[in-house]
Amino acid sequence: MNGKASFAGGVHPQENKRFAEERPIETVAAGKQVAVLLGQHIGAICKPTVAKRDKVTAGQVVGRAEAFVSAPVHSPVDGVVKDIALQSHPVLGRATALIIETDAESAKVKEPCAARFKADFDASAWAPAQIRDAIQEAGIVGMGGAGFPTRVKLEPNPQMPKDVIIINGCECEPFITCDYRVMIEWTHQVLAGVQLAARAAECPNVKIAIEDNKPEAIRLMREAVRQCRDAENIKVVPVRTKYPQGGERQLIKAVWNKDVPVGGIPPMIGVVVLNVATCAAIAEAVVCGGPLTHRVVTVSGSSIDRPGNFYVPIGTAVEDLIEHCGGLNDKIARVILGGPMMGFAIADLSTPITKTGGAITLLTKEEITRAKYDRRETPCIRCGRCLQVCPAGINPTRIAHAVKHGMLDVAEKYHMNACIECGCCSYICPANIELTGYIKTGKILVARAKKRMPQ
Amino acid sequence: MVDRLTVSPAPHISKAHSTRSIMLDVLIGLAPAMVMAVIYFRMRAVAVVAACVIACVATEWVCNVIRKRAQSIDDLSAVVTGVILAFSLPPSVPVWLAVLGGAFAIAIGKMVFGGLGSNTFNPAMAGRAFLTASFGMMMTTWTVPATIDPAMPAISPANTEAITQATPLGWSKDAIKGKADADVANRQLRSAATGQIGGCLGETSAIALIIGGVYLLIKRTITYHIPAAVLVSAAVFAGIGYLARPEAYISPVVHLMSGGMLLCAFFIATDPVTAPLPAKGMWIFGVGVGALVMLIRMVGEYPEGVMFAILLMNAATPLIDRFCKLVPTGGKANA
Repeated sequence: MNGKASFAGGVHPQENKRFAEERPIETVAAGKQVAVLLGQHIGAICKPTVAKRDKVTAGQVVGRAEAFVSAPVHSPVDGVVKDIALQSHPVLGRATALIIETDAESAKVKEPCAARFKADFDASAWAPAQIRDAIQEAGIVGMGGAGFPTRVKLEPNPQMPKDVIIINGCECEPFITCDYRVMIEWTHQVLAGVQLAARAAECPNVKIAIEDNKPEAIRLMREAVRQCRDAENIKVVPVRTKYPQGGERQLIKAVWNKDVPVGGIPPMIGVVVLNVATCAAIAEAVVCGGPLTHRVVTVSGSSIDRPGNFYVPIGTAVEDLIEHCGGLNDKIARVILGGPMMGFAIADLSTPITKTGGAITLLTKEEITRAKYDRRETPCIRCGRCLQVCPAGINPTRIAHAVKHGMLDVAEKYHMNACIECGCCSYICPANIELTGYIKTGKILVARAKKRMPQ
Repeated sequence: MVDRLTVSPAPHISKAHSTRSIMLDVLIGLAPAMVMAVIYFRMRAVAVVAACVIACVATEWVCNVIRKRAQSIDDLSAVVTGVILAFSLPPSVPVWLAVLGGAFAIAIGKMVFGGLGSNTFNPAMAGRAFLTASFGMMMTTWTVPATIDPAMPAISPANTEAITQATPLGWSKDAIKGKADADVANRQLRSAATGQIGGCLGETSAIALIIGGVYLLIKRTITYHIPAAVLVSAAVFAGIGYLARPEAYISPVVHLMSGGMLLCAFFIATDPVTAPLPAKGMWIFGVGVGALVMLIRMVGEYPEGVMFAILLMNAATPLIDRFCKLVPTGGKANA
């Protein structure tokens, strides 16, 4: 079961999966209101298709953009559009959202549809184009974090034929367990989605990559693959437990032994990577006709009394979900949307859950480490640990120092654009220098200088 | 509750280590050699090490006060500099000389460049170079370890207080000049391994230094690149000489085990501040150090070449860093 396959570099942070990994997925009802952000994906931001005070029903499209690279958003509840207003956004700061007041009378709790999927699922009942359209209409985007519209990924392209679809079940971030729960509880649904995706992409060769710290998921997934109709084309590949094993480029290196060109995307080398939660969403969209309005979110950390994995409406405020888990206790120091390595710290707990946000991680000062919490940066001693752990093979300290001193040309010369922002360098730095933070800043400054980003 | 939330860029966790813990590891790695130094040189070892460490820490403290900067002595880097400087001094040096060396090492070797992380040269070696240039005689007088009788014939003029003894590298130099037989030095192998021999304070016991070096490698405080490169390149050059003229050149094993070679390979050349960053650069740096040490030992006037080899390669480090261009995964090197 031990996964040998991996990539160069990486770190081994404490896994801390114990808080939530044994907690079954629990369905959570919508709160009094939800805030559906219009930009939850890479690509054109949606325009509202409903107006203030309109009635909406669960699953109704409420925002859409005409561009090819985009994905519509849907209302997760029956209710009334109370407002279309700026709302705290985990990545963009503030962005437009539809504030929908939940209809208290018709409030119904949406249950997962995993029970509808059996081992003998037959994907050939749907035509590839039909599957792709269903995926697009359901607003499915990469649920692992990047949020790239899934339909665009799967669209066959004669210039770039697809050799393999890699299903990402690594979940290498500490604390997060939502994908693990999806794999062990919704195994057949995930596999149905995998087969549908393979059919939609017209690429039968599939590898399901799972980190070897999840033996139960590997076992169940292997079992399900053995029983499924497409057993000869689908292979479960255990990969080494190491952060960022679930990073797209690192995963492709481990499973397919190819490097995605810097500045390029996986289709250039004939690879499509899909997250397991995305596959589950594909199955639901195609078979049950259900748009992407709910997702599994892990709430984890020692500063919450009842951590767990929750099936929640997308748009639920972080504070509502925290309340559902019994509220924060005194030890809380930081609330993060996502995992501790790449997640976004938020101060506004009304921030809504998005399609890409699989976790709320709650950290104490001790978990952050005191030195980092107090921002005690000491001088770089050129120990080179950041170079050793960097999965992109670049020189983080050189780039960070160049950015710090305003030398963006130097930063670019040292391949700043190859950085995947995984955070390994900041994690390993004994001097507690926010290397990743500086590099991200440098990228934004360069994008602004080239007028690719607003001020 | 919300008012106690903080934000910062990701990642939000970090490995529980610090510059201080790395320096502490280096000190632990130096501990076996310290124990052997005390066994062989008794209170002299304690006095010289204490003088160097106190001088280094005090100088750093004073420099920080003068520069009106936050104190940095708690990162223990000045302690490491002090110990390494003391280890590279003869046991018979007077305390004032050790203090002077420590003060120079920190003030001129480190703080004038901007403190830890900004210095070009290894501070301990800078301090030692200053002492060698200024007090040549005291820096080349070797005391007999307290555990043996002065069985070896003296080659240095008798010091006023210490009984002096030849070192393996001293014999090596004489052998090259045809004044002695290289085989005498070769027979000192066992003494060089345990350290029961003349030499600098912390450099005599090869076994103690190897234990310390292996500890650093296991703890991953250092990587294997530099020690491997230094030792392999030195062994290759020493081996060429030994194979060509065994009567003049001592065996490569004795070369590796004597003088400052092991202290250099594990503790001095691996000083991260003054060594290159990329792995390829570390190889070049290490090979350069090993080759220069052997060049000085076999061709130059001095019996030992570690100090000059380190300082010369330190000077080359920025160039090596620039020369070793990293190729990002899936990318091309920039011109």
